[in-house]
Order: sequence, then structure tokens, then C-alpha cells
Amino acid sequence: MNGQKKRGPRIEPFRHRVETDPKFFDKSWKKLHDAIREIYNHNASGLSFEELYRTAYNMVLHKFGPKLYEKLTENMKEHLEEMRTCVEAAQGGLFLEELERKWNDHNKALTMIRDILMYMDRTYIPTNKKTPVFDLGLELWRDTIVRSPMIHGRLLDTLLELIHRERTGEVINRCLMRTTTKMLMTLGSSVYQDDFERPFLEVSASFYSGESQQFIDCYSCGDYLKLAERRLSEESERVSQYMDVKTNEKITAVVVKEMLSNHMQRLILMENSGLVNMLVEDRYEDLTRMYTLFNYVPDGLTTIRSVMMSHIKDTGKSLVTDPERLKDPVDFVQRLLNEKDKFDNIINVSFNSDKSFLNALNSSFEHFINLNNRSPEFISLFVDDKLRKGVKEANEDVLETVLDKVMMLFRYLQEKDLFEKYYKQHLAKRLISGKAASDDSERSMLVKLKTECGYQFTSKLEGMFNDLKTSQDTTQGFYASASDLADYPTISVQILTTGSWPTQPCNTCNLPPEILAVSERFRSYYLGTHNGRRLTWQTNMGNADIKTTFGNGSKHELNVSTYQMCILMLFNSSDVLTYREIEQATAIPAVDLKRCLQSLALMKGKQVLRKEPMSRDIADDDSFSVNDKFTSKLFKVKIGTVSAQKETDPEKLETRQRVEEDRKPQIEAAIVRIMKSRRVLDHNSIMTEVTKQLQPRFLPNPVVIKKRIESLIEREFLERDKTDRKMYRYLA
Amino acid sequence: MAGGGRVRFNVGGQVFETTTTTLANAGRDSMLGALLDSSWNVSSSSSGDGAAAVAEYFIDRNPACFAVLLDLLRTGSLHVPPHLPEKLLHREALYYGLLDHVRAARWGAFDGDRLRLAASVPGRAPGDGTAIRAAPDGGCCVAHGGAVRVYNWMLDERRPVSLDHSQVNDAAYLDAATLLVAARERLGKRDDGGMAAFSAVSGELRHRFRVAHGRQAKSFTAGALAFDQDASVFASCKGRLNEYGIGVWDRATGEQADFFYEPPGCALGDADKLQWLEGTNALMVATLFPKADNCFIGLLDFRGKNVVWSWSDAGAAASHDDKRVLHAIAMEDERSVCVINQYDDLGFLDLRNGAGGVRWSSRSKLMNRKVPGEESCYPKLATHGGQLFSSMNDSISVFSGPEYVLTSTLRRSHGGAICDFSIGGDRLFALHNEENVFDVWETPPPPII
Repeated sequence: MNGQKKRGPRIEPFRHRVETDPKFFDKSWKKLHDAIREIYNHNASGLSFEELYRTAYNMVLHKFGPKLYEKLTENMKEHLEEMRTCVEAAQGGLFLEELERKWNDHNKALTMIRDILMYMDRTYIPTNKKTPVFDLGLELWRDTIVRSPMIHGRLLDTLLELIHRERTGEVINRCLMRTTTKMLMTLGSSVYQDDFERPFLEVSASFYSGESQQFIDCYSCGDYLKLAERRLSEESERVSQYMDVKTNEKITAVVVKEMLSNHMQRLILMENSGLVNMLVEDRYEDLTRMYTLFNYVPDGLTTIRSVMMSHIKDTGKSLVTDPERLKDPVDFVQRLLNEKDKFDNIINVSFNSDKSFLNALNSSFEHFINLNNRSPEFISLFVDDKLRKGVKEANEDVLETVLDKVMMLFRYLQEKDLFEKYYKQHLAKRLISGKAASDDSERSMLVKLKTECGYQFTSKLEGMFNDLKTSQDTTQGFYASASDLADYPTISVQILTTGSWPTQPCNTCNLPPEILAVSERFRSYYLGTHNGRRLTWQTNMGNADIKTTFGNGSKHELNVSTYQMCILMLFNSSDVLTYREIEQATAIPAVDLKRCLQSLALMKGKQVLRKEPMSRDIADDDSFSVNDKFTSKLFKVKIGTVSAQKETDPEKLETRQRVEEDRKPQIEAAIVRIMKSRRVLDHNSIMTEVTKQLQPRFLPNPVVIKKRIESLIEREFLERDKTDRKMYRYLA
Repeated sequence: MAGGGRVRFNVGGQVFETTTTTLANAGRDSMLGALLDSSWNVSSSSSGDGAAAVAEYFIDRNPACFAVLLDLLRTGSLHVPPHLPEKLLHREALYYGLLDHVRAARWGAFDGDRLRLAASVPGRAPGDGTAIRAAPDGGCCVAHGGAVRVYNWMLDERRPVSLDHSQVNDAAYLDAATLLVAARERLGKRDDGGMAAFSAVSGELRHRFRVAHGRQAKSFTAGALAFDQDASVFASCKGRLNEYGIGVWDRATGEQADFFYEPPGCALGDADKLQWLEGTNALMVATLFPKADNCFIGLLDFRGKNVVWSWSDAGAAASHDDKRVLHAIAMEDERSVCVINQYDDLGFLDLRNGAGGVRWSSRSKLMNRKVPGEESCYPKLATHGGQLFSSMNDSISVFSGPEYVLTSTLRRSHGGAICDFSIGGDRLFALHNEENVFDVWETPPPPII
């Protein structure tokens, strides 16, 4: 323009500005101002959006952006102040409705104002870091109305009052609640939190604290938990109806704290209805509720678990130490199994099969089962009982599950070697007397033990099975080798490998001559086929079937032990014998002899012999004769032995001693193994290592370990360190 | 709406008729959307004299531009008549709130093989450009010595950005409105250089990123920049007291979140290129010739604070007839790193295999290129949508397919060698070395049939 021709020496500055109306801004703003008033008055129909938009555009274009923004803020504030007066004037219940109405009005107006000022929103605002028009409107609403002194408290009180009324059972206008809280959320999460959520949580806390105080005194634990559960779900529902989703977690925490955490101990330990009662009465539903609710509480499940543990330990302890229970080992173990089943069920049904609860259950059982040192024996007896009666149980699957359960108990045992000892004894008895019901079941039990404890544990037991099999073959071979044996009584010999069987050295008694002859034939046959072996007759273990004809003419077949057979055979040659005579003739050890005579003469219904005098105890001079009046409904009569299955106290002591004796080499072996690899080790470490190594079998006594160490030092496997007496050194 | 959805506009005296459906394409947050919104048309229904009445609006604007924009709303494609200046169209689009529509219709989805030169923008800055970066919205910025010049997508220049006019080493768009700048620290000055975030719109300083060693804030030189998708910003840092390593800042707060000190044998503080690998959850760091004598490329795991993968040509460079790795980039599948040497050979390093060396690809080699002279620029690499791009002298090669065969060459006759290029916002920007000019390459909208 001015670059083409210069007139005169003066260079005029380039004038870009077109002459504008000095009142441009005021005129334009008045137009917008009036329009905004009409909008707030619901009278926008006469307005031309295009004109207003163009006006605002021009203002921004002419750099009046800052002034326009300022005026707008001022103007909107004025309108909001008018609204505030209306809301403040609303009476009682109409307050929220008025607020909602004004909020809707403002929102609508704000949208339209934003439309008019859209160009400013796009250009002036982002480059000058101002709040966009719509957000500005929300901020002004927040500061002018929601947080004005007259409304702020009233709004909160109204909301909380309504919620309180709903909690006490009244029906409130949830829709209004929803729009109000939604308004607060629209104003920003901090407004919602500061102006509603926090006070709401505080009021809720005091409400539930009061309610819990009121009900914990008069409700049973189960009922109280039902109430808590209902309250929790109510609060959740309330949040979903008219609050922010994030509040759910917070209000749940409040209810849990006030209703559950604060009363946790009291609830769980509540007399007559607490956890223990629920457990005793198998109240699955209540237990489930307790588990679910206390899952929210920190340490809740831990507390439940520890109370359950001490309950199981207590009941278990009274079970295993009750002298009444000790009388019947089978019942004893059955009760243990029932107890285990009961808690397994509770944990599976009510405690969500929680691993930590199962662990607690196991450790409790482990604790109390080992309180009674006869548990290994009883468990073995229980298995004995099951395997003997296997035929009666008929169903092998049932037996299998029982055995599996027994194995669970077995796992709890600390003295597994003791169990092994007993199991061996009982198995031997079963096998020799032919009472093992099912070979399959026996084997399956063996496999279970093998998987649990390893090969070493069961190798001897397997040896026993093998012995029986070879014995059968040998007996067959014996009868096949000689043809002249038909005249002799039939014998069946079981050859037991020394070491595999729980045999005690015993003096062979004097066998009746008929038997002696055939046994000697067998001995020579066996030694003839197997070089370099020795046979010893274990007369205390066998049994015999004897055909008897009594004086009254009744015929019976008696099933008796070898000892009893020896005694009865004596009466083939004499009518009356005194105890002393019998003892001399048979050379049976006195204890066994007395027992045999007792069972022959004193067992009710099976009195094969008559005793003079008819007293219970047997004296040297007592005389015995065949009971000619013997009657029995059965042709075959089984004469039992008085000896109880359960061990007597002296026997128990003996077994224990034997076990202790067996442990010594095991402990020594462990010590040597450890020292061999570590060379030098202090006393305490040896103790812990040995205990750790042997734990799967038994819990070694520290005193015994110490003695073994001393013995090893004496035998120069180890030595004490010269300077540090607490250190041991391995001598290779 | 009355009139069976028909709308009549009188724009600056010229009458247009269209339908509400067409106008709905403008969106509610546009001037046209608001104009037709029910809140502004209460009267038309109350005073309406039957269904035949067609709503008519007067708009006091340029009719020629309105025609173009209405056509854009109708068809979704932009056709600007030759006589219509672009600036005018953009201004009108801003008035109607349709600028985003114009931008979206301007160019198509990026395809390296269909690029065409859309503009060459000369700058007034001295020809010392170090880097060019594409913004996510189609704009770009050019780092020149001590300042960064910012262009919006219309290629209008905004206020330049500078960190006390310190030498700029790298720049990066955190988002369309936020620009990160890494600058060199000048000796003898306190609180100088380092790293800062600027508003890409207004050019004002938003935040200065600090580094503290032993709880003491230290000034530092920031080298290369990178950021991950949600939380962190990374920069290679050199402190005055050999505090070399990679600094990590929280994106939301801007506070220092971590510092990965340079372990022996791994040059991190001088790194030329950082790249966040989202799938591997690791940061690739490449320190290259000539900043360092030996090239080092490593992957850093910030959770375990260890170098999970690394490669260096230390000791090997002399025997391999001096093939020097001059730039490196992790491929999009994060299985390999692509490198380039001064003969324009592409090579690959396997990221899944710890030991293997560079597998040089002879296929990509261009036979008829002259061996670069002294004034030439170092080659650069970039990947986008499965394609690989490399700059050499005055052209950019595009490689496609699983074997990365050469499929296109982008060349412009003047401006000299390309010193840097960048892909983003569906555009490719190439900065020339001799003349201060950058080229904008776009993919045209898809053909009509």
C-alpha cells in the first residue's frame, strides 16, 4: 500500500488499525449480556445464535478476549447469586428440589453460553491457559451456591438426614438423591469427596457404632452377623443407586470396622453362640457368613483360625487323654477320623477350602495326636481291625477310603517308627493266623506306607509277605516228597526269616509226640533242600485244629493255639492233671501257660477243661480235667487266648524300650552322616540337623542325641575340639 | 426439525440448501452444530407454520469458503479450488469450528510408498538445524542451535521455544500440546540447560525437569529424549561430576522418579537415541559414532536396574573394513534393532539372542550412490507401520515387507543433504542441511475409485 510511492521525506508508519467504534466492546457486550439474561429467564426463543456467535467472535478477534472473559465471569456470578437467593428461600423438603431445578437451569444456560462463546473456547482460552467456559460455569456454581455459607451445611445435613431415614426403614426420593450427588460429582471428584463423601462416612461410622453397641448385647453371634451382612448389602445397594462407585469400598470399610472389626474378639468368642458353638453344632451357614464377613477385617481370618485351632486342640486333647476312650482303640481312632471328617467338611463348605485353614487343621491334629504316646499303637490296631474284618465290609472301595483317611492320621504321627513296630506285629499276627482278610487290601496299605515313608520302611513288611508265599510252596513240596505222611497229623509250616518278623526268642515247648515226629521230618526235609540254615520252632505263634470227642458224646473240632493243643493232647493219656504237672510236661512259659489254661477253663461257653477250684487265678496245685459236659451249638469251636489285643502296661513298656533301642543306631547314623559331610560342627547345629533328618520317622530326644554323641566320641568317631568344647570334629 | 430435515443458509448473500443429516457431520461442538441445536430453536417449533417451512439461517461469512466446507461435510473429502487461499479457508474453518475436519480430510493415512511432497517450508533460522520432530496432530518443530521453532499443522509458525538459548540436543512431543526440549548445559552458568516441557501452542515454559544426586539438585546436559506410553519420561544425562546415566521423570508430576547410573562399559550419558520398547518393558539406549568412538547399544530394565541386552563394536570396528554404525532403531516387533553404516548398508541385531553380531543386509544396498563426501550428513533411520525409512544424502529410502526391500525413494532436488527426518501425525518431515528448509510429505486421500 504505502510501499509503492513515497511522498516526501517522511516515512509514515504503517497504520494497520481500521477505525473501530470506540464503544464497540460495550455495545457488543450489552448484546451478549442481554442474551444471557434472556437465557437464564427461559426466554431464548427470540435470540439469534448466529448474531451472538458473530458478536463474540468479533470481540475475540479485536483482542477483547480478556475483557470478555472477565465480564462473562462477573455476569454469570450475578445470575448465580440470584439463583442462590431462590434456593435459600426454599422451605424444608422443597430445598433439594429447588436446588435440582436451578442446577438444571444453570446447566442448560451454560450450554448455550458455551455455544455463543465457542470461538473464544477454541482460540483465546487454550493460548492463555484459562478455564473453558463450561468449566468456569461449574466452578462458579460450586463457589457461589454449593459452598455458600447458607447452603453448604444445609445441603449436607439434608442429604445425611435422608440417608439416615432410609437406614431406619423409610422410603426416600432416591431420584432426587441421585441428581444431587451427581451434581457434586460433576463439580469434580474433590467436591464430591469433601462436601459429601467424607462427612457421610463419618456419620455412617457413628451410626453403625451405635447400632453395633445396641445389638451386640442382645443378639447371638449368628443373628448379629446376619444383621451385619444385611447392612453391608444395603450400603452397597445404596451406593449403586445414588453415589459414586468408588464410595462402595469406603463405606464397606466403615461398616466392617464399626460392626465387625471393633467387636471381633467378642463376636468370635461369644458365649453359647460364638465360633466354637458353630463348630460344635456344624452350623455351616453361620460359619460361611462368619468367614465371608471377617474376610473383610484385617486379621479377621487369622483370629477365626486361631480360635478354631485351639478348639480342635482342646477337644482333641480331651479325646486322646480320656481314659475311657483308651479302652477301645478302634473306637478311639474312629472318633479321630470322625473329628477330622467334621472339620474337613466345615472347611470345604464354609471356609472356601481355605488352604491356611486346612494347614491349621493339620497342625492341630498333629499337636494333639502326639499328646498320647499310644496313638501309633491304636492306629495300627485300627488298621488291623479293618483289615481283619475286610470281608465283612465287603466293599473294597469303602475300605480303601478308610485306609486313606488312616494314612492322614499316620502323617500326623511324630513317632512313625513306633507305628511301624506295631504295624509289623499286628501284620505278623494277621498273616500267621491267616486272618488277613484280603491280600489286595494288605498290599494297598503297604503301597500307601511305601509312598509315604519310602522303601526302607516297608521292605521288611514285604519280606513277610514273601515268606508266607515260599512257606506255602515249601509245605506243598514237603508233602509231595514223602508218601507215608498220611498217618501223621497234617502240618502247615510257615518259615519266617529272622529279622523280618517281630519274633521274640522263646523256648520251644515240648510238642506232643505225634506232632514232634512230623515236625522233625519237615526239619530234615527243609534242611535237606536249603543248606546252612537253621530252623527254630516258634511254638508260641502257631495254632491247631483238634477233633475232640467229649465224655457226653458230643463231637467238636476245636481251633486252638499250639500251646493249648499241647495241653489238650496231654488229656489223651490222663484224666486229671495239676498245673504243676502240665507245666512240667509241656515246658510252656508260666505266663503263657496260665493264660492258655484260663482260656480253656474259664471262658464262658468255651469251657473245654474243668478247673478245681473254680477260681479265676491259677495256683500251682489247681487241677484240671476234661469238661465232659461241654456243649456248643457250633461244630467248630474257636478257643481264643485271653491275651488282649491291646498291649498291657508291661508289654507297652517293653515295646517302647525296644523302639528306643532301635532308635539309637538311627540317631548315630544320622550324626555320622552329618559330621562326615560337615567335618566340624557345634553342638547346637548337630542337634537341629539330626532332629531335622529324623523328623519324618520320629522326634529324637535331645538327651538321647547327646548320649549318642558321647558314645561316638568314646568309640572315636568324633572328638571334641581342643579349644572350643562346644565344637565336634569328625575323625575319619 | 421442521422442513423435513431441510436447512437453508444465506451465507454472505448466497443461498445454500442442505440437510440436517449433512450438518450433523459437523458435530455438536461446532458452530453449525450449536446453530441447529434444539436449545437455540425453541421458537421455530412454536411459531412454525407447517411442515413445509424450511429453516433459514443467515450467516455473515464468506460464501466461497462455506461452499468448500459444506462440500467437506457432505462428502468427507476436501476440494479447495485453486483460487481460494488456504489461509482463508483455515480461518473460516476455525470460525465454524471445523478446523479438525479440514485437517482430517487434508491427507490420508500414512503409507511410505504413496507419499507426495505437500510443502517445502523455508525458515529464517540459520542453517544449523539439528533435529526435526513431527507432532501427533500433523505439526512439527525444528531445533536450530539454541531454539526450537514450532509449526502447527497448517505450517504456520508459532512462538519459538528456547531454554535460555542453550544448544538444543533433542526435542519430543509428549502430546500435541506439550513439547519436551533437551539442552546442553553451558559451562560457568548455574541452573542452565537440562530439560523442560513447553506448551507447543503458546510456547511458554511449563515445567523444568530436575536431577538430584544424593538429594542435591545438579545441573546437567540432557541428550536424547524418550517416553513410554503412560508414566515416564527418559533422557540421557551428563552431569558435571561424571554423573552419567539415564534420568527418569514422572510424566504427571514432573518429579524425578529414578536415575540409571552408567555401569562400566555402557555409555549411557552420551546416548544419541533412546527408544522405549513397550512389549519388552525396556529402554533401548544407543550411543553412536561420532559422539563415541565405539558404538554401544543396550536395553535397560528399570525394575531390576540392569542391562538386559547389549552390543558394542568395541575392538571389532577395525577389522570390519571400518563399517561404523551411525544410527540405530528398534524395529516395531521389538525383536531386532536395525542399524545403518556410512555406506548405507542396513544391518540387524537380534534382540532375542544375546551374542550375535550385526547381520548386514546386502539387499538394501544402493549401487548407484556416491560415497559420501565430507559435508554429507549422517544417515538416520525410522520405522512406521511395518516400513523402514533411512535417510542418506538428499533422499529418503523406504523399505517394505518382511525382507525390507527398497520400494520407494523420496528425493527433492534442492536444499542439500537431509540431516534429520521424522514421521508422525501421518506426515513425514525432512530437514535439509544446506538451505534451511524442510519438506512435508503426505499420503494423498485415497483415489475416488
